[in-house]
Amino acid sequence: MHKKWLNAALLVLILGATALGSGTVTLNAAGATFPAPLYFKWAETYNKVTDGAVQINYQAIGSGGGVQQTIQKTVDFGASDAPMLDRELKQAGATVNNFPTVLGAAVPTYNLPGKPTLNFTGQVICDAFLGKITSWKDPAILALQDEANKQLLSGLNDAAAKITIAHRSDGSGTTFVWTDYLSKVCPAWAKQVGAAKTVNWPAGIGGKGNAGVANIVAQTPGALGYVELIYAIQTQIGFGKVKNAAGNFILASLSAVKAAAAGTKLPDDFRVSITATPPDPGAYPISSFTYLLIYPELSVVPSMTKAKAQALGQYLCWAINSKVKGGGQTIAPTLAYAPLADEVSAKVVEAIRSRVKFDGQLVINPSKPGFCSR
Amino acid sequence: MITGSMTDIRPQDQETLVGAEALATPAIAVHKLSAWFGAQRILYDIELLVPPRRVTAIIGPSGCGKTTFLRCLDRMHEVVPGARATGQVLLHKQDIYAPGVDPVLIRRRIGMVFQKPNPFPTMSIYDNVVAGLKLNGVRRRSLLDEVVERSLCQAALWPEVKDKLHKSSGVSLSGGEQQRLCIARALALEPEVLLMDEPCSALDPTATAKIEDLIHKLKRDYTVVIVTHNMQQAARVSSLTAFFYLGKLVECGPTTQIFERPLMQQTEDYITGKFG
Amino acid sequence: MSRTLPQAKKAWLQRRRLPWADRAFWATTALFAFGILLLVSLIVYQLTVSAWPSLTKFGLGFLSGTTWDPVDAPGHNLFGALPFIYGTIISALLALLIAVPLSLGVAIFLTELAPAWLRPPVSFAVELLAAIPSVVYGFWGITTLIPWSRAHFEPWLAHSLGFLPLFQDRGSAHDMLSAGFILAIMILPIISAVAREILLAVPSTQREALLALGATRWEVVRRVVLPYSRSGLLGAVILGLGRALGETMAVTMVIGNSPQILLSLLRPADTIASRIANEFTEANSPLHLSALIELGLVLFALTLLVNALARLLVWRVARRPEGTMHV
Ligand SMILES: Nc1ncnc2c1ncn2[C@@H]1O[C@H](COP(=O)(O)OP(=O)(O)OP(=O)(O)O)[C@@H](O)[C@H]1O
Ligand SMILES: [Mg+2]
Repeated sequence: MHKKWLNAALLVLILGATALGSGTVTLNAAGATFPAPLYFKWAETYNKVTDGAVQINYQAIGSGGGVQQTIQKTVDFGASDAPMLDRELKQAGATVNNFPTVLGAAVPTYNLPGKPTLNFTGQVICDAFLGKITSWKDPAILALQDEANKQLLSGLNDAAAKITIAHRSDGSGTTFVWTDYLSKVCPAWAKQVGAAKTVNWPAGIGGKGNAGVANIVAQTPGALGYVELIYAIQTQIGFGKVKNAAGNFILASLSAVKAAAAGTKLPDDFRVSITATPPDPGAYPISSFTYLLIYPELSVVPSMTKAKAQALGQYLCWAINSKVKGGGQTIAPTLAYAPLADEVSAKVVEAIRSRVKFDGQLVINPSKPGFCSR
Repeated sequence: MITGSMTDIRPQDQETLVGAEALATPAIAVHKLSAWFGAQRILYDIELLVPPRRVTAIIGPSGCGKTTFLRCLDRMHEVVPGARATGQVLLHKQDIYAPGVDPVLIRRRIGMVFQKPNPFPTMSIYDNVVAGLKLNGVRRRSLLDEVVERSLCQAALWPEVKDKLHKSSGVSLSGGEQQRLCIARALALEPEVLLMDEPCSALDPTATAKIEDLIHKLKRDYTVVIVTHNMQQAARVSSLTAFFYLGKLVECGPTTQIFERPLMQQTEDYITGKFG
Repeated sequence: MSRTLPQAKKAWLQRRRLPWADRAFWATTALFAFGILLLVSLIVYQLTVSAWPSLTKFGLGFLSGTTWDPVDAPGHNLFGALPFIYGTIISALLALLIAVPLSLGVAIFLTELAPAWLRPPVSFAVELLAAIPSVVYGFWGITTLIPWSRAHFEPWLAHSLGFLPLFQDRGSAHDMLSAGFILAIMILPIISAVAREILLAVPSTQREALLALGATRWEVVRRVVLPYSRSGLLGAVILGLGRALGETMAVTMVIGNSPQILLSLLRPADTIASRIANEFTEANSPLHLSALIELGLVLFALTLLVNALARLLVWRVARRPEGTMHV
C-alpha cells in the first residue's frame, strides 16, 4: 500500500521529468550523509558532462535509510557507509552489489594546551574510551610520545590531565569505523562494546554530528574524541597519529587513507572492513570505504527502465573509474575525499561491467563500454 | 443648547441653599474637576461640596458622566488606561489629587459600590465580605464573623445567605443579591464616605426598600454619594441633589428645592421627563 | 388569529428554514472530531505494530531496563528505556522550575504593571522568542550557555551547594542542568504568551473591585487576578511542559547524550526525543528500529499521562465553592 503510493509518486516524477526534456533520464538515490557533498558535486558535474541528459537526485537521509530504501526498492540505487549485512541482503532478496566509491577515516582529536600532535595506539584509545585510562599522564600514553610531548603531558596538573571522552550521539558511519577499529585491536572492546553505528558507550559525552563532537572537544580541556577526517581537515582542528599494522605512527591524510585500501586484499563483493589490517607501511588504520548499493538485476526495481539502467551503469563508471579524466575519482580529492587506489578502482569497474544487468542483459555493452573502458 | 455658564453656581451659592452648618466642613469639596478618557473630555470643571453625614444624589441622563464623576472621588478613574483627571478633590480638607498622595490610602477611606455587581467568583460569600479587611491584615476570626454578619444584615442579605456563607461563591447569587453582597463588602470596611453607583438598579422593590432604609441609617455616621436614575429614590433618600448634563454640573441644591422649584430649565425638563 | 396570518408566515412559524444546515454542520464538526480520534488511534496502532518485535522481546523490562546497546551482535541488542524516561521527566521538570516563575512574572508585568508604552515592545520580544527555531537555541547553548556555565555558574553551584548530591561531580557542562536551562528558555515565551492572554481575559471590573477596597497592584494580582485565572495559567504551564517533553534538537545539543540515571544535575543525561532523533536515521537492525519506535510510544504515553495528571490538577484547583465560575 505504502510502497505503491511511493512508486506512484516516483512514476509521476519520472514521467514529469521525461516530459520536460525528452531523453532526460532521472536517477533517484538516497543514503549516507558522509559522502553527500561529494555525491552532489558528482551529480552536478555529470549532468554537465552528459549535456543535461542524466539527472541524479541524491537524498542524504543516512546510511540506514539508504539500506532500507534499497531493500524496499524505492530508489534507483542506495548509498551506505557500511556494506550491507548478510541479513539485509536476504531481506533484499538479491546479492546487491556494494561498490566502493571513496574512502573515509576517523581521527582522534583532543583538547590539550599547545596543540601537540600525539601518538596513539589502538590499545590506548580503547582503554581511554572504556574509561580505564582517565588521565593524560597515564604511563601507557606517555610511553608512546616523543620527548617534548612527554614533558608537556607530565607537566599537566591533575585537573587538566583528566580525560573526558566525546563521542557521536547520532548513528554514523564514522562511529562504525571507529568502533570497528577498536573491536579489532582491542579484545576488551570487542567483548564489551562491539562495532556499530551507535553503541552503548561505556564513558563520555555524546555530541550530535562531527560538529557536536568537535564542539565538546574544543570546549572541554582534556577532552578526547573522534571526528571524520574530512571534517578535521576542513575545520583545521588538530588530530593525532595512530599506529598502523606495520608499526608506524601515521597522521591521517588522503594519501594515507588511499594507501589503506590499496594494501588490502579485497574480497569479490567488496564487503570488507579495512581498519587495522593494511600491511602498507603508510596506511592509516582507521579507514573505510563508502558504498553505492546496486541491484545485480536492475529490472527488479519498479522505477527502473532499460535507458535508466544504462545511464546508471555509465554514471557508476564515470564516478569510480580512475582512468576517466575529470571523472568522479579526480573530483574526490578536491573536496578532501580519499579516492580509490587505481587497482581498487579497476576491480570495481570490472564488477560494474560484469555484475549489473537489466532483463538479463549486461547494462554495459562490452563492445561500447564508454566510461567503463579498461 | 445650554452653555457652560450653568456651572457657575459657586459653593457659596450652594451654601445658602443647603445650610451653612452642613457645608462649613464639607466631607468632600470638589473644585474645577475635569476628566478625560484619552482625548475625549467627559467632565468640565465640576464644583461641588458634599456635606458630611448626608446623602447626596447625582442624577442626570445616561452618559452624562455620573459614574465618571463618582470614580474621580476615590481616584478610581485613573485606573483605566488613558484616563486622567485634573482639579481638586478635598477629602476632609486633604487634596486627594495632590502630588505624593497614595491613591491606595485614599481608597481605603472611601467605599465604592459599582454600577454592575462585581463579586469575586473565586471567593466564598464570606470571603467576599471580608476581602477588604483581610487586605488590612485583620485575621481574628471572631471579629471577621462579627463584621460579616453586621455587613450582610445592613445590606439586607443576611437571611438569604447565612446558611451558605462558606459553601457558595459570590457569583452563585442572583444579580440583585450580588449587588447587595457588593454593598456589604464596601460596608465591612466602615468607610468615611460611601460612593454608590445605582445600587438599586438590579433590585426588586422589597430589596430596594431595604437598601434605602440602610442608606437612611448610614447617613447618621457616613457621608453617602449615590447615583440614581430613580427620581423618587433620589427624593426619598437624599438631602442634596446634583444634576449633571453633558459632563457639566447644571444645578445643585437641597433635594426638595431641585425637585419642586429647580432654577434651571434643563433640570425641570429632565425631572418632568421631557428628556433623558 | 392564525387564520389572518399570510400563508408564508405560517409556514415560517411551523418549520425552520434550511433544516439540513444544522444537521450538516453537526455532521461536519462531528466528522472532524472523530477524524482526530481516528487519527490518534491509527498512529498508536501503527506505532504498536512497528514496535511489536521490541514489545514482545522486552515486555515491561523495556521500561525498567537501563542498558541501551544497539550493537547487532550476540550479547548485545538490548534496549531499556528507563534512563531516557528519567532524563525526559527531570529535564522537563527542571525547565518548568526555572521557566514558570519567570514567565508568570513576565506575563504579570506585561498585563498588570508595565506602563502602556512598554507593553507592545516587550510582548513582541517575547513572541519573537517563540518563533526562533530550536536548533538556534541549541547552537546558542553550545556556544554561549555551556562555556559560561562551565566557567562560572557550575563552579559556583558546586562550591556553594556542592554538599547536595544534586550538584556534585561536575564535568563539561553538557548536562541535565544545561538541558533544563535551554528548555526553560524555549518554553518561557509560550508560557508567558499564553499566560498573558489569560491574564488579559480577567475582567477589569474584578481588579477595580479590589482596588476600590484599597488594595495595591500586587494585592490585586495575588488575590484577584491569579485566583481568577489559575486553571488557565495551569493550562499555559502544561502547554510549556508538553513542548519541554517533546523537544529534540536543542536538548540533544547540550545534554551530553549519555543514558544514565544520576542524581547530579551536573552529569550528562539523555531524553527520549533526543535519542530517537539521534538514532532513527541510522538504525538498521529491525530490533533497534522497533525499540526506537517503542521509545516513541513511551513518550506518547508519558505525554498522555502528564496531560491526564494536569487535567486532574486543573479539576482539583477548579473545585471552588459551589456555583463558582469555571474560568
Ligand atoms: N472606559 C471608557 N473609555 C472611554 N470612554 C468612556 C469609558 N467609560 C465611559 N466613557 C464615556 O464617558 C462618558 C460618561 O460615561 P459615564 O459612565 O460616566 O456615564 P453615566 O452618566 O454613568 O451613564 P449611565 O447613567 O448610563 O451609567 C460616556 O460618553 C461614555 O461613552
Ligand atoms: Mg453610570
